[in-house]
Amino acid sequence: MAIDYKKELEGAAKTMILVHEPHILIKMIVRLFVQKVRVKHAGILLHHSDKDTYVLTVSGGSAGLKIPAGFARMDADNSLIRFFRERLDRGIFNYGAVVFEEAKKALKKKNLAEDVRQILKGAMHQMEMFETKVCIPSYFRDDLLGILLLGSKKSGRSFARKELDFFIALASDVAMAIRNAQLFGELELELDKRKRLFIHTTVALAAAIDAKDHYTHGHTARVTNLALSIAKKLSQKNRTEFNEKFLEHLHIASLLHDIGKIGIPESILNKEGPLDEEEKKKMQEHPLVGVTILQPIKELEDSVLGVKYHHEKYDGSGYPEGLKGSQIPLIASIISVADSFDAMTTDRPYRRGLSKEEAIEEIRRVNGMQFDPQVGSALIELYQENKI
Amino acid sequence: MAKKLLIVDDEKDVREFAANFFRKRKIDVTIASSGEEALGLLEKQKVDLVLLDIKMPGIDGVETLKRIKERDKDAKVVMVTGTKPEEAGAFEKCRQLGAMDYIHKPLEMDELEKVVLKELA
Repeated sequence: MAIDYKKELEGAAKTMILVHEPHILIKMIVRLFVQKVRVKHAGILLHHSDKDTYVLTVSGGSAGLKIPAGFARMDADNSLIRFFRERLDRGIFNYGAVVFEEAKKALKKKNLAEDVRQILKGAMHQMEMFETKVCIPSYFRDDLLGILLLGSKKSGRSFARKELDFFIALASDVAMAIRNAQLFGELELELDKRKRLFIHTTVALAAAIDAKDHYTHGHTARVTNLALSIAKKLSQKNRTEFNEKFLEHLHIASLLHDIGKIGIPESILNKEGPLDEEEKKKMQEHPLVGVTILQPIKELEDSVLGVKYHHEKYDGSGYPEGLKGSQIPLIASIISVADSFDAMTTDRPYRRGLSKEEAIEEIRRVNGMQFDPQVGSALIELYQENKI
Repeated sequence: MAKKLLIVDDEKDVREFAANFFRKRKIDVTIASSGEEALGLLEKQKVDLVLLDIKMPGIDGVETLKRIKERDKDAKVVMVTGTKPEEAGAFEKCRQLGAMDYIHKPLEMDELEKVVLKELA
């Protein structure tokens, strides 16, 4: 039965737009060849850039001919790879495919350069080993991304020119789809790397603050974990997912909430006893010092809100601006609860820390005055569920 | 007389493909899908070379090699390994046990052909 190649090509192109996973796409292509074109077997060699080698990734067809996936490879010095990479096909065949029978004829031509003849011979040897009748290269710009290997047709007929044209068009579409998927993957990887670098830098910065303040060792890490747990609890309770951006901002803000303490003298930070009025005033500058430090970093705009307002109180008695109720950004309310809980449960030279149970009792007592009631309740629930 | 090759691999596609490949090269090929099956076959017939996959369920390649060599210390065995480091380490053990050579997957067909034909020559 003859295939309507135009229709198949259109169908394949449509599928390629929908399928972003190159591996699935390639499997579909191989299936198309085995079922529709009715070749005895088909396989695809795909470039692996880390080792600069081509691995037979997907294959289909009859037993004994079907090449097991991951079994065979061709390195960059393999004749078949060289033949296509060096674009030797261009001088010999006037279209992108290499057909075994035609290659045999080409070998006999007198005007073929000796080195090209040797590579073509080697390439044909490779084709013979895989019982391949037609090879179709797939390029993106000048990079050979892969080669489609086709066995003979079950009918024994040779491939018509029209068919080869269809295969070549398909191969170039596939190359484009693969390249797109690869680029997309690389981009995501790069973004991920940058994000991690940023978080690690922030963690290092936070460690610098912790190191300065002897009594609060590990405070930043604990506040960060607690703040993220509270956010998770809140989203469960309200049955709304915080978007990823909010959680990122909260993560960064929690890590940096005390960065302003860099500007506070160590004599105050590490004082063995309660602070006097003057010292308290100095200490209360740290949120705004933090803002000054972080302001030049535009990307941190949303996180800075958490740093700036984490000492505000729900009833308006906090600092630096005395914001009230819903005026206080949620990011700051969350850090405030996490920060207070950790401060309460940590030993200071002039007082022992409270037990978790006592601290929760205290939070319950001032919830709705000092803390946003929803956020305070989220922490209390976490405690009741043994999650903190 | 045609040389005899026993191919041992748990993966059907690999067995069939390799068997077809070597039969086309005038080699008398027998296949086995496990170490157990291979050892059973070798009790009944002698072969010139065994091509043995290292990673198989049941008796793995290393253990199969050991038992082949216990029965016949002159038996020739070529191991087929993956590229994972733990399997590369396993090959050292295979060499001590008397394996002739090894090839690792994914392999170049030229290499496979050369190694096998060399041992069969």
